[in-house]
Amino acid sequence: MARNQELYDAILAGKRKDVARIVQECVDAGADVQSLLNESMIPAMREMGDRFSRNEVFVPEMLIAARAMKAGLEILEPLLAAAGATPRAKVVIGTVKGDLHDIGKNLVAMMLRGAGYEVVDLGVDIEADRFAEAVEKEQAKILMLSALLTTTMQYMAEVAKRLADRPDVRIVIGGAPVTAEYAREIGVHGYGRDANDAVKIVDQLVGAA
Amino acid sequence: MIPNNEPRTTNHAPLRLKAVSCEVFTREVCWAIARSPHEVDVEFLPKGLHDLGAARMFARVREVVERIDERPYDAIVMAYGLCNNGLAGLRARTIPLVLPRAHDCITLFLGSKERYLEQFNANPATYYLTSGWIERSAPNAQLSQFSIKEQAGMNMTREELVEKYGEDNADFLWEELVNHAKHYNRLGFIEMGVEPDGRFEAAAQARAGERQWRFEKLAGDLTLLRRLIDGEWNPEDFLVVPPAHRVVVRHDARIVDAEPVGDEA
Repeated sequence: MARNQELYDAILAGKRKDVARIVQECVDAGADVQSLLNESMIPAMREMGDRFSRNEVFVPEMLIAARAMKAGLEILEPLLAAAGATPRAKVVIGTVKGDLHDIGKNLVAMMLRGAGYEVVDLGVDIEADRFAEAVEKEQAKILMLSALLTTTMQYMAEVAKRLADRPDVRIVIGGAPVTAEYAREIGVHGYGRDANDAVKIVDQLVGAA
Repeated sequence: MIPNNEPRTTNHAPLRLKAVSCEVFTREVCWAIARSPHEVDVEFLPKGLHDLGAARMFARVREVVERIDERPYDAIVMAYGLCNNGLAGLRARTIPLVLPRAHDCITLFLGSKERYLEQFNANPATYYLTSGWIERSAPNAQLSQFSIKEQAGMNMTREELVEKYGEDNADFLWEELVNHAKHYNRLGFIEMGVEPDGRFEAAAQARAGERQWRFEKLAGDLTLLRRLIDGEWNPEDFLVVPPAHRVVVRHDARIVDAEPVGDEA
C-alpha cells in the first residue's frame, strides 16, 4: 500500500477530525492497519519533526500535528494489538523535581507516541525514586528527563545516580539549559536538542534507526 | 527590607566601574549606584533578552560588553544571574568582569542564593514579581520577533489561536501553551524598599486575584546588588573573572567559574 496522501497531509496540517475520519474510512474499507501507520502516519510525523528542526514550523504546529496523529492512533491501536503488533519500546518520561515546565516534555511524549513508542508520562516535579519505581514497574528500557531551569537540571544527576544499578536502562535528557556536554558530565546515554532530535536519539538507542 | 541609607565608607580610593544591568533591576541598581563609594556608569539592557534563548541572549550581552572602552574602568560588573546560560562564555578582556553567583534575578532580589534555594524548594509553584518585572514587562517590538515564547505561541490570545489554528485546536493549544496559571499556586511579590508607593504591590495583588494564586509579600534584600556595585566581591557570592578568562557554568553550588580563554577566541 502506498502513502495515503490525504491522511499524510491532514496530519501535517493538524486536522484531528479529518485524520480520525480518514483512518476510520480506511479501516472500514479493509486497509492494512500496519502499513497505514508505517507508510502514511509515521512518515507524516517524521516530516513534521524535520520541518521543526529546520525552523520551518514551530511548537504550535508540532503540537497540533501530534494531536491529529494521536486521534488516528486511537483508532488503530486496538486493531494493531489484536493483530499481535507490539510497540517499538516503552519509554518513561517526566520533568524533574522542582521543575513545573511541561510544554517540551509533552511535545516529546506526543512525538514518541507518533513514532510508535509506548509512553508513560509521569508529569512534572518528579523525584528520583518515582522515576526508578516507574522504570521498574513498566519494565521500560528508556527513561527521559526534562528540565527547563539551571537550578533544576542538576537534579538529573541525582536521577542518573538513583538508576546506577540499572545499566540496562538508557537515560536521555533535554530542556533549554541542557547540553550534550552536561549529558556526558553526568554519564547519561543521550541528549535531545529538540523534540525531533529526542525521537531520533531514542530510535538509535533501541536500535531502530 | 527597608534599605539602609547610611552613607558607606571605603578604605581604598574609589573605583571606576562600568555596570551592565538587566533593566529589571533599574530601580535597585540606581539606588545602589547613588549610594556607592565608587564612580559607576551603567548601561541597562532589555529584559526581553531572557526570552531569546541562551545563544541569542549571549550574543547581545557579549556585543554590549565587548563594545565597552575599558580604559577608564577598573572593572565591569554584571547585574545579571546566569539567566538560563545567557551569560555563559562571556569574556573579561583587559579588566576583571564581576558577576554574582546566581541562577537568575530572583536570587538578586532575595539577597542570597541560599535564600532563593530555600524559597524555591519550599514553593516551586511560585510566580515572582517585583517593580521591575511589572513595569518592564511590555513586549519589546525589536526583540519579540526572536522570542522563543512568541515562536512557541505562548503569548497568543485565544482569538489569535482560533484564527490561526481553528476552534478545535485553539482550546488544546491554549491549555498546552498559554495557560500558565495551572503551574503556579502562589504569587510572591518581592518588595525591595525602593518602590515609590503601593502601585506595584496592588498590581501584583490584582494579578494573583485574576489567576487565583495565593498572594504573598516577601521582603526583598538589596545586599547582593549593593555589594556588586560597592565592590565587595567575596568569592562565595561573586565570581571575579580575571582578564583573558571567560565565564563557564558549574553544575554545583558555585554556579559559575572562570577559565582561561583559549586560542579559539
